[in-house]
Amino acid sequence: MHKLTDIEWRPQPNVPFEWSAGSTIAIDFGTHMTRAGYTDTNGPNLVFPTLTGKYRERKSAGPGLAGATTVGYDNFIEPSTRLSARSPYDGALVSNWTVAEEVLDYTFAKLRVGSDGCVDNHIIMNELMSSPAAQRRNLQQVLFEGYGVRSVALGVDALFSYYANDGKTGLVLSVGNEATHIIPVIDGIAQRELTKRITWGGRTASAFLAQLLQLKYPTFPLKLSATQTTKILENHCYVSDGYKEELDGFLDMDGLEKRERVIQAPYIETVKAEKSAEELERIAERRKESGRRLQEQAAAKRAEKLAERENDLQYYRQQAQILEDLGDDRQGKREARRILDSEGFKDVKSMNKKIAELERTIRKSLNQDVEEEEVVPEFPLADVPDEELTPLQIKEKRHQRLLRANYEARIRAKEEKEAEKARIEEEKRKDEEWRITDLAGWVEDKREKRNAILARQKERAKMQKELRNRKSMASKMRMKNIASLAADTRATKRARPGAGIDDDPDDTFGADDQDWSIYNDIANQSDSEEEENERAALAELEANLLEFDDEFTEENLLESQTDWKSSLLHMFLHGPTEYNPESQEQQNQLHLNVERIRVPEVLFQPTIAGIDQAGVAEVCGDILTKRFPSETASVMLKDVFVTGGYSQVPNFDARLTAELRSLLPAGSPLQVRSAAHPETDAWMGMAKWSKTDDYKNSRVTRAMYEEMGPDYIKEHAFGNSSYL
Amino acid sequence: MTESSNPQAPPTIAEANANSMPKKFRNSSWKAPKNRNKNIKAIIAEEQRRLADKNLGIDDITYFNIDAPPSLIPSKAYCDITGLEGKYRSPSTNLRFYNQEVAQVVRDIPPGVDQQYLELRGANIILR
Repeated sequence: MHKLTDIEWRPQPNVPFEWSAGSTIAIDFGTHMTRAGYTDTNGPNLVFPTLTGKYRERKSAGPGLAGATTVGYDNFIEPSTRLSARSPYDGALVSNWTVAEEVLDYTFAKLRVGSDGCVDNHIIMNELMSSPAAQRRNLQQVLFEGYGVRSVALGVDALFSYYANDGKTGLVLSVGNEATHIIPVIDGIAQRELTKRITWGGRTASAFLAQLLQLKYPTFPLKLSATQTTKILENHCYVSDGYKEELDGFLDMDGLEKRERVIQAPYIETVKAEKSAEELERIAERRKESGRRLQEQAAAKRAEKLAERENDLQYYRQQAQILEDLGDDRQGKREARRILDSEGFKDVKSMNKKIAELERTIRKSLNQDVEEEEVVPEFPLADVPDEELTPLQIKEKRHQRLLRANYEARIRAKEEKEAEKARIEEEKRKDEEWRITDLAGWVEDKREKRNAILARQKERAKMQKELRNRKSMASKMRMKNIASLAADTRATKRARPGAGIDDDPDDTFGADDQDWSIYNDIANQSDSEEEENERAALAELEANLLEFDDEFTEENLLESQTDWKSSLLHMFLHGPTEYNPESQEQQNQLHLNVERIRVPEVLFQPTIAGIDQAGVAEVCGDILTKRFPSETASVMLKDVFVTGGYSQVPNFDARLTAELRSLLPAGSPLQVRSAAHPETDAWMGMAKWSKTDDYKNSRVTRAMYEEMGPDYIKEHAFGNSSYL
Repeated sequence: MTESSNPQAPPTIAEANANSMPKKFRNSSWKAPKNRNKNIKAIIAEEQRRLADKNLGIDDITYFNIDAPPSLIPSKAYCDITGLEGKYRSPSTNLRFYNQEVAQVVRDIPPGVDQQYLELRGANIILR
C-alpha cells in the first residue's frame, strides 16, 4: 500500500555562492526543472520546478499579498498557488514569456545579483534542438534588453550533459520531459542532420497515465493533479524486460499482489458511531419500555371505549324498553317518534340494528385476546324448504345460506392448501425415487432445467439491454404491440357502439391465457416476482446437482462463475482482493498493474500512445547500423549515452541494451551508459564549458547583438546551426 | 529581500512572494514587446511561414524534419481497456479487446467513452 504523494517544498541545494560582476551564470531552463547557478561553484545553486503560481488572497494572510507570485518550490507551500502553478512552456516550446521572465527574475534575485539596471554577467542557457527561430529571438531579446546581460551562449542540454560526462564520440539519447532526442556526436561535434526526435517524454507519459487512470476509475472521488500523476509515474512505473511475455501473465491472480501497486488516496472516513453493548442494551430497554407504555395506553383506551359502549348499550336498551312499553295509540306513536328523533334514528328497526351492532362490538372487544376456537357453526334453517317457514325465517334462511357458503369456501381453501402440500411432498418423494432408481436420467433432467433457467435469464438480460436502445428490434416490436393494442380497442368501439370490450363476440382476447403475456412484453420493467422464483428454483437445482452429480462441482455454480476470483477485470480494477463497494478505503484506492509497464513501454513502442514514430531502440539501431561508415559506427556504439530526467525510469538502460543487441550484428562491442547525474549534468556541462576558451569564442556579446540583431547565432559544438 | 531566517523550513507566503523581491537588476526602461506570448500552434505556424520562403534543401535541418520516421516494425495491437494483448476488435467501436469478459465491457461502453479510449492511441474520429 502506497500513499498518494505530491511534490512538496524543499530547500535549495546547500552550495555557497557569491555574486560578482562579470562572472558566468549557467541556467538550464528545463521544461520540468530549472537549474541555475554561478559556474565557479561546484553545482547548481538553485534547483526548482519551472512553475509560477498566483496567490489568491485570504483575509488572514495580511495586506499586500493579493496576486502574490510564487516561483519554483514555493508554489507548494499553499493550496492556491499549488493549483494555479503554471509553466512557461507549451510542449517543448516557451509560449508564455511573461511567466518565463518571472522565473528568470526569481533566478537572478535568488542568486543575489547586485548590479543596478542590468545583470552584469555572462549567461549560458539551454535551447531546444533545432528550435524555431522565434524562440531564440525572444530569449535573446529578454536577456539582452530586459536584463542587459554581458553575453549569451545557448546550447542543447543533452550535449552539455554528454560533455560533462567526458563524452567524445557516441550516440546521445536524451529522454526529456517533453521529447526524446537522439543525437550522434563525433569528436564532440553534434551531427545535427542525423538527429532524430521522438515526441514523447516524461510529461507526455504522465499525461497518458493520468488519462488511463481517469478511464479506469471514472468515478474516482479525487481529481489527480498533474504533479501527483508525475509522482506515481516516478515511483511505480518501470520498463519491462520483455513486454509481451510480462504482459501475458500480468493479471494472473498468482503473484499479482507483488506485481501490482496499490495507491491509497487520502479520504475522510465518515465514522458510524459504534455503540457499546451497554448502550445497545439501554436502547433495547427503552424501546421495550415505550412499547409497554403504548400497550398500556391502548388497553386503557380500549377499556374506556368498552365502558362507553356498554353505557350506550344500556341506554339504548332502556330506550327500546320504553318504546316497547308505549301504547299503540296516537299519543304513544307521537312519543315514540319524539324519542326516535331525539336519538337520531329513522325507525325502531335502525335502533335495534344499532343495539345489535353495539352488542357485537362489545363481545368482540371482550374476546379480543382470547384465541378463537374454530367451532363448526350451525345453519339450522339453511336446508329447510321455504314453504315451512315464516317470511322472517325465510330472510334468516337466506342469511344463513350465505354464511354457510362462506364457511364452506374457507374450508375448501384449507383443504386445497393441504392437498397442494401433499402434492409437493409426493413430488419430492417421486423425485427422490427417480433419483435412486435412475440417477443418470435424473441428473440429465436437472441439468436441462438449469440450462433452461439460465437461458431464460440470459434472454431476459439481453431483452432488457435491447430495450434500452430505442432503435433496437426489441424496442420496435414493443412499440408495435402497444400501438396494435391501442388500435384494437378503438376499432371495436367504433364498429359496435353498443358493445363494450367485454361482450364483443369478435374479441377472442383472453381465450388463451398466453394472450395476457403481451402485457408482460410491453411492460418495461422486469417481472421481479418471476425472477425471484427462478432464482430460488435455480438455487435448488444447483444444490441438488452439487449433491448428487459428480461432474457438477463448486466451480460450475453460477455464483462462482461470476466470482471475482475468476474475473480478469476485477484483477485489473481491484487487484487480488475482494472489493467492497461500501468501503471508503477501497473507493479511494488506485490499483496500478498493467499501467506500470504500459506507460514506459511507449518509449519503445510509440504507437501504443498513438505516436506514429519508431521507438527509441529502433531509431538508435537505425543510426548505428545504417547512417555511418562502419568504422565510425563501431566507435559510436561503444558509447551510447543516456541522459534526461525520464531516462531514470527503472530498467530503461537494460532494456535499451537488450533491444540494441538484437538489432546490431552479433558480438558488437555495445556499451550503454547513463549520465552520472541525469538531472544536473546538463548544468555541470555548461559550468565545465564556461571555463574553456571555446566558450569565450562562442558567446554572443551585447555589441554583436546590437549590431546583428536577435536572430544572430554563433555556431559552436553545443548549439544549433545558424538559421536558414 | 526577505530571506527566510531558516532556509530549511518552508517560507510563508509573504516571504515567498516573488513580487516583493528586489529586482533592481532589471532594465526598468525596457518594455516587453506585445504578441510574444503564443501557443504552440501559433509558434509552429509562424515557423512554417518563415521557412516557406526559404527554398529548403533536403539536408537543411528545421524544427520539423528532425521528427523520427514511422516504425518499420509492424505495430502490435493491445487491448484498449486493459493494455493486455488485443486479439480482437469490436467492429462497432473499433476498440480492441483481450477476451470475452472485456468484450462485454466494450459492448456496454457508454457513448463517448469509446472515443476517449481511441484518443489514447490517436485513433479517435476528429470532427472538423
